[in-house]
Amino acid sequence: MSIGALTHPPSSRRFLLIAHSALLIALVLGMEQLAPMFRALFPDQDPAMYQRESFLNLTLAHLALVLLSSLISVSVGVAAGLFVTRPAGREFEPLVSTLAAIGQTFPPAAVLAIVVPIAGFGFVPTLVALVLYGLLPVVQNTVAGLGTVPSQTLEAARGNGMSTWQILWHIELPLAMRVIIAGVRVSVIINIGTATIGSTVGATTLGTPIIAGLVGNNLPYVIQGAILVGLLAIVTDLAFERLERRFSFGEEGNAA
Amino acid sequence: MIELQGLTKCYGDTRVVDDISLTVEQGEFCVLIGPSGCGKSTTLKMINRLIAHSGGKVLVGGDDVTTLPPERLRRRIGYAIQSIGLFPHWRVADNIATVPRLLKWPASRIAERVDELLALFQLDTDGLHDKYPHQLSGGQAQRVGVARALAADPDVLLMDEPFGAVDPLTRDALQVELSRVHRQTGKTIVFVTHDMDEALRLASRVALLNGGQLVQYDRPAELLVAPANDFVRDFIGRADLGLKLLSRRRVEEYSRAAQRTRNNALASASITWQVDADDRPMALLGGRLGEPDTARTVVTPEWTATPDMSMKEALSRMVWFRVTALPVLDSEGRLLGEVTMSGVMGHRP
Ligand SMILES: Nc1ncnc2c1ncn2[C@@H]1O[C@H](COP(=O)(O)OP(=O)(O)O)[C@@H](O)[C@H]1O
Ligand SMILES: [Mg+2]
Repeated sequence: MSIGALTHPPSSRRFLLIAHSALLIALVLGMEQLAPMFRALFPDQDPAMYQRESFLNLTLAHLALVLLSSLISVSVGVAAGLFVTRPAGREFEPLVSTLAAIGQTFPPAAVLAIVVPIAGFGFVPTLVALVLYGLLPVVQNTVAGLGTVPSQTLEAARGNGMSTWQILWHIELPLAMRVIIAGVRVSVIINIGTATIGSTVGATTLGTPIIAGLVGNNLPYVIQGAILVGLLAIVTDLAFERLERRFSFGEEGNAA
Repeated sequence: MIELQGLTKCYGDTRVVDDISLTVEQGEFCVLIGPSGCGKSTTLKMINRLIAHSGGKVLVGGDDVTTLPPERLRRRIGYAIQSIGLFPHWRVADNIATVPRLLKWPASRIAERVDELLALFQLDTDGLHDKYPHQLSGGQAQRVGVARALAADPDVLLMDEPFGAVDPLTRDALQVELSRVHRQTGKTIVFVTHDMDEALRLASRVALLNGGQLVQYDRPAELLVAPANDFVRDFIGRADLGLKLLSRRRVEEYSRAAQRTRNNALASASITWQVDADDRPMALLGGRLGEPDTARTVVTPEWTATPDMSMKEALSRMVWFRVTALPVLDSEGRLLGEVTMSGVMGHRP
C-alpha cells in the first residue's frame, strides 16, 4: 500500500545519509591518517595538519554549541509561534515576526561585538548569537505550519467535542509538524555554519582550525575545518529530510 | 427534542439570525434552507455552541445548552460537515472513533462500534478501515464523515451542507443512504442545504430562512402547495413545482386496481393488462397515445413501476415510452395494480 511510501524514503536518499555519516565519522576520528596526503599536497606548509586539539573534541564542542542553541531557538520559537496563533496572542503576531526578523538581519559578527563586552569571550556570546539567528525560521514556520491546518478540520475537531488542548495536541501540531520541522532544519543548518565564527571570540568550534588557518595563512587547516563543517551540515540536512517525510499526510507525502 | 426560542445572533449591529423559534420533534429530519448568507450555518452552530448566541434560548432534550460545558454538549451531538473535515493524519477507523475516544470508551467497544458503522455505510470492503482520508473517493469520505458523527450514538445529528462538494450522482446515492440511515436509527437530524431538491428529498420538515428570519416552517408538501408568500414561491421555483410535488409522492399512493385478462380480449375499461399464469403482465391492450384502443403493446421491464418508486419517475417513464399507464409490480414481477396518466392528474396534491 502507498502508506509504505510515506515512511520509507527512497533508498538512494538513505544511502546518501549513511555514506555521508560514515565519511564524517571516519574523518572526525581519523583525520590524522590523512597527514601524508596533506603534506604531499601542500609541501611548503609545516605543519600541514591541525594538531592543537583533536578533531573529535572540536566536533563535539561544535555540536554542543549548535545543539544547545537550537534547543533554545526551537523552544522559544515554537512557543512564540504558538502564542501568536492563539486568540489571546494574535495581536502580537506582527511584533513577534518583526523581532525575529531583526534577529536574523543582524550580522552575527555584530551580535558578537555587542554581546562580548557584556558576556565576555567564548561560549556564551556565541550561544546568544546563534539563538537569535536560529529564531526566525522556527517562528516563521511555526506560524505558517499552523496556518496550513484547514479551518474545516479545526471546526470538525471542535464540533466533535475536542477541547482546545486536544485540538492543539492531536490535530494542529501533527498537521503543522512537517512545516515546523522544515523551519528547524533551516535554523540548525544555518547555525552549524554560523557557529564557526564563534571561534573569533574564543569559543571552541570547528571554526577554530579555520580561523587559525586564515590568521596563520595555513590552507590545510582551513580545509580540515571546513570539510568537517560541510559534512556535518549535509548529514544533518539529510537526517531532517527523513524526519520531515514522516509528517507528510496526503497529497505531497505520496509524491515524495 | 430541539427547541429554538427566539434565537438571535448579532455581529455588531447586524442581526444575522433574527428571533428564530422552532421545534424539531424526536426522530424528525429538519432541513434548514435559504439563500446563501441567510444564517443557516449560524443557526445550526448555535445548537452545539460552536457559535454563541446573542439572544433567545436553545434547548436540546429539554436542557438549555448553556448549562452544559460546550465539549460535553458537543460529544452528545453528532456534527458532520464537508469531507475536508476529516482529520487527514488519521485512518478511517481513527476518524470514526473520535468521539468514543474522547468519551474514553474501552478499546474493544470502540473497535466494535467502528465495524458496526463501516457496515452501516457499506464501507466494510477493501481495507477501507486502515486507509487515510486522501485515499478515499469523495463519496466514501462523506460517508466516513457521517459515520464519525454517529459514532457515539448521539440522539441528535447536525449536518452543514455535508454533500455540497460531491458530484450529482454521488450526492444522489448519499441522499438515499442518509434517508435509510435516518429510518433505521430514528435520529433527530438538523440538516443545512441550499438545494431545494435535496431538501424536498430528505426533509420531514423544512425551515425556510431569509435574511436571518424564519419565513416558513412546514412539511415539504405544505411548502409546495401552500407557500407562505412570494419569497417562498420564488425560492421553491415555479417552473417544475408539479414535478417537485410528484418527486415527494410514491407510486403506491396513486396505484389503483388493474383490469386483467388471460387472452387478447380488451375488457370494458380502455386499459387492460394481459397476464400470464403467474399474474405477470405480458402486454398492454389499449392505453397507447395516438393509437387505436385495440393496439397491443408488449410490456418491457423499462416501463413498469414499483410501489416505492417516486411518481416523478413513473410519470417520466410514461412520457418516454408514450404509454398512458404503467403496471405496478411486486418484487416477483406480479401485477399489483396500475398508475395512469389521468390518475396523476386527478390526484389532489
Ligand atoms: N464572524 C462573523 N462576523 C460578521 N458577520 C458574519 C460572521 N459570520 C457570519 N457572518 C454573516 O452572517 C451571515 C450568515 O452567515 P451564515 O450563517 O454562514 O450563512 P449561510 O446561510 O450561508 O450558512 C452572512 O451574511 C455572513 O456574512
Ligand atoms: Mg453555510
